[in-house]
Amino acid sequence: MPAPRSARGFLGWLLAPERRGPLLIAPAIATLVIVNIFPLLWSYGLSFFSYNAKKIGVPPRWRGLDNYVDLFTDEDVWGRFQNTAVIVIGSVAVQLVVGFLLALLFAREFPLRRYLLMLVLAPMMLSLSAVGVFFKLFYEPTFGFIPRLVQTFTGEPFVILSTPVKATIAIVFADAWMWSPFVMLLVLAGLVSVPKYLYEAAEIDRASAWRRFRTITFPYIRSLLLLALLFRTIETFKIFDVPYVLTEGGPGTSTETISVYLFRVAFNYFQTGRASALGYIVLFGVIVLTSLYLYAIQSRSSESIE
Amino acid sequence: MSQREVRSIGTAGWGRTLTAAIISLIYFFPVLFIILTAFKSRQDALAWPVKFIFTPTVTNFVSVFYRTTVEGGEAEATGFGLYFFNSLFIGGSSVLLALIIGTSAAYAFSRFPLKGNETYLFMILTTRMMPPIVAIIPIFVLFRIFGLSGTYVGIIALYTAFNLPFSVWMVKSFFDDLDRDIEDAARMDGSSEWKVFRKICLPQVYAGLAATFVFAIILTWNEFVFALLLTGTQTRTVPVQIVRTIGGSMGVDWGLMSALETLFIIPVVLVTFALQNQLLRGVTFGTIRR
Amino acid sequence: MKGLKFSIAAAAITAGAVLGGAFTAAPASAKDVIINMAAPDWQPTRFMQEEFNRTYKSKTGNNVKLVIDFIPWPSFYQRVAASLSSGEKKYQMIVTDSQWMGDFVEGGHYLKLNKYIDADPELQAVIADMHQVLKDTSSSYPYKSTNYYGFPQFPDNMVTFYRTDLFCNAKERAAFKAKYKKALPCYYHEWQDVDWNQWGNIGEFFTRKKGSALGDGKADDDFYGIAYQAGKGYDFSTSQIHTMIWDAGGDIWDETDTKPASGVINSAVNVKAMEQFLDLLKWSPPVAKTGQMDIFVIQDLYMQGKVAAIVDWVGVAGPVIDPKASKVADKSAFAQAPGTRKSDGTINRSSNIGGQPFVLTTWNNDEVIHEALDVVKWWLSKPVQTKFVREGGGQSGMLSVLNDPGYATWSPFARAFADNIQWQKDMWHIPEFFPLLTQQQEQFDKAITGQISAKQALDSVAAYQDKTLKEAGRIK
Repeated sequence: MPAPRSARGFLGWLLAPERRGPLLIAPAIATLVIVNIFPLLWSYGLSFFSYNAKKIGVPPRWRGLDNYVDLFTDEDVWGRFQNTAVIVIGSVAVQLVVGFLLALLFAREFPLRRYLLMLVLAPMMLSLSAVGVFFKLFYEPTFGFIPRLVQTFTGEPFVILSTPVKATIAIVFADAWMWSPFVMLLVLAGLVSVPKYLYEAAEIDRASAWRRFRTITFPYIRSLLLLALLFRTIETFKIFDVPYVLTEGGPGTSTETISVYLFRVAFNYFQTGRASALGYIVLFGVIVLTSLYLYAIQSRSSESIE
Repeated sequence: MSQREVRSIGTAGWGRTLTAAIISLIYFFPVLFIILTAFKSRQDALAWPVKFIFTPTVTNFVSVFYRTTVEGGEAEATGFGLYFFNSLFIGGSSVLLALIIGTSAAYAFSRFPLKGNETYLFMILTTRMMPPIVAIIPIFVLFRIFGLSGTYVGIIALYTAFNLPFSVWMVKSFFDDLDRDIEDAARMDGSSEWKVFRKICLPQVYAGLAATFVFAIILTWNEFVFALLLTGTQTRTVPVQIVRTIGGSMGVDWGLMSALETLFIIPVVLVTFALQNQLLRGVTFGTIRR
Repeated sequence: MKGLKFSIAAAAITAGAVLGGAFTAAPASAKDVIINMAAPDWQPTRFMQEEFNRTYKSKTGNNVKLVIDFIPWPSFYQRVAASLSSGEKKYQMIVTDSQWMGDFVEGGHYLKLNKYIDADPELQAVIADMHQVLKDTSSSYPYKSTNYYGFPQFPDNMVTFYRTDLFCNAKERAAFKAKYKKALPCYYHEWQDVDWNQWGNIGEFFTRKKGSALGDGKADDDFYGIAYQAGKGYDFSTSQIHTMIWDAGGDIWDETDTKPASGVINSAVNVKAMEQFLDLLKWSPPVAKTGQMDIFVIQDLYMQGKVAAIVDWVGVAGPVIDPKASKVADKSAFAQAPGTRKSDGTINRSSNIGGQPFVLTTWNNDEVIHEALDVVKWWLSKPVQTKFVREGGGQSGMLSVLNDPGYATWSPFARAFADNIQWQKDMWHIPEFFPLLTQQQEQFDKAITGQISAKQALDSVAAYQDKTLKEAGRIK
């Protein structure tokens, strides 16, 4: 790693101080190019072909833009995007509200806080597939905890996954349970970053609680709330494990998200070309969202420098 | 190295503790319920009202590893020993690799910014934000071409790339946090860059590297989609087998399922506790520190 | 045992071959040969593994090991398809669902066996001993040809599981008779007169609220009359819906594979049959409404004493009579599944066959092929098959076993299985079967959960089938 200035030739050139950065970064970039970028470029190519990954002997057939045209005109695809959008909007909204309330609860120091925080933070560290299995057991109409609990009050069997609306709510519930602590963490970070003297000043001004929140607290958590919103939107947009395990996309196809649909197109229907094209459309969405997220990160850090 | 508690604004008394305890327990209830069910007999597990007091049994945990599969047959190994080993081995090696490659890149991104530094960082993050199912379509085919399906090499390479963006961003955030004055003083004194890195910067981020390591292990431990499609019989990991175990033929054995889940999540819950101070950074891939 | 042809000669040859083989001297250099086999995770394959470990000795003296990878049913096809198309060449043998034949034969994964059969009288005897229905559905591709690829590892069909403590209860029988003017079926022969309408009567009759009288006691929880598969995963509604379509006299496609599906799968007869299928779900446990009531869910509900009778695969019947797994182990009996009554009063019991052949893969070397075929012969030999039927709770597709006078008494469900076998048909064996199945399961699931009607579902299935078959160049 050191760059002996006396060294000559190629090695000397390579180890010159101005190449230090690139040299250190090269292995990481190389790994990503080989394992991630190259396959993606390859599938970009495939997205213009009709190809079935299961039929080894049959070469890809050129289709031009037809895969994309088909996708944009396919009602099924739009339906899956809608399913995903509904779950994203529902789940992220719930996460923001619940996460915010949890943050208020834990904003002050109190005895045993650290231990109780652990209980609340645990869900988001669990495996998505494990959470899917949890809720599959909780929702089971005959033996499951939630249906039985409801039945003791209503006397009627309670079947959660029976209609598109209820099944969507069931998925939103599971996902929001898992990820509200994430929002809580971000909001907590915002709450504690408010300088104490601002509150003291407000105290002197006898500002109302609402006014204090709006003018002092909120500006500090605003940027973090935005980050939470964007981050959770990106992550929920990709949701796969929970619906895959919990509802298999049912009833019918009403909870089949775009990721589950991609999985079906690629590995049930084995339309590899079409799946690649759809993958690219999804990837484009993620790139846009990620840029927004990083933009928000940067404006937040420049804000705090001011 | 700033080892902060999850900070607070002011204090509250035991009254708040009580409220928070009730809410936290309700919040934690699903996990608690699974753990309790894991210790129940088959009939207790299905009993209603739910039994909170029962004679605990470890049968379910034994059954995770050894159970009879044919009436009157002998107990046989279920393969879970192997799957737990795989999860740890694949997770451990890929995270270690990612951490080594990632730390070098992170240091460079932090100390020797390139032209277009932000673009590289953005590109790296994007590969992590991308839905795994998008990445897997070409990788699935390429693995076949190169004969990597179902091999340790293949899945470890994949998980290394999967953990790399996370490692770069996390570790960079720790390097960014360091006070530059000490390094600069050392440089003034004529220390080589290697020495600055090795003797001054690196020791200060050990805790951060440890946190990154553990976080990445958890992410890999939990990963399902890649493992579902790219692990073979010998390299299968725990989450895949858990989902495969539902829908087995012995009816839905809730105790067994819960025992499996418990073994799978307990390490994660404990580690979460240990990592509490780094959680924010970890769950946002190092993009948010405070 | 109607319709079964019997071949003593074949049985004798098979048995003789196995016995003879046991005395072949071992060559000096014994090698390790490992046969990795993909198989669904359930009792019939578990039994095979245990029995193999316990008793199998290779005739060649090689140290042959059978290592079965047990895969749960809902993801079985995907795992196998993923493995085969990933090129990992992991498996030497595969227990394959019959309808996958075309897919993987055309994909170049399954080994054509005619060459080996022609050279081996023992294998010829095995083929001769197989029931014709199984030769058609489980061994050959194209469907009903003589290109052999597999042998029946486990033949399966759907039968009725019912609670004797309820169906044979004098009080219940009297009440049923008074209400429906028909006998509540208790004995095997009474079930043979049950059609789908009466199945509905049974459903209505036994659906009881918690606390109401049931048999000699009271229902300790809500209790339901009937259930059959209606799940979204794999083929967990298709098997039952195909069955009811065939029972009603309809067809699921043009079997010559040359004419469009429209007008066949969505015919008026089929729509009516599917409407009946949907209607009968109202007497099933609430999980029916989720569209996730698959073959294991109904098995579990039955074992937990939540439903009076189910129609399910013989393959999942083993645990039902195991007291460790089942609350109703000592009060369960089995009968032929219902059918649809024709105008002449007889009942059409056509049914979608289940069960799986096992096949060899194309990348095996000669030594592995030889050993694998020896495993096939071992498994299909009369002694092993007999033991399987008696102890594993399994079934046999071999005539020498089926026609044994004692067969019907060897297991509680053996008789129902044997009486059913002649009625079996199968779905499409063409390479495009999985897209067809997946799309159909989606549409059926929508109908089961009340989002669309039977007609809409079948119209959509017909349109998709036409499109797929056209794209594959099968129809114009």
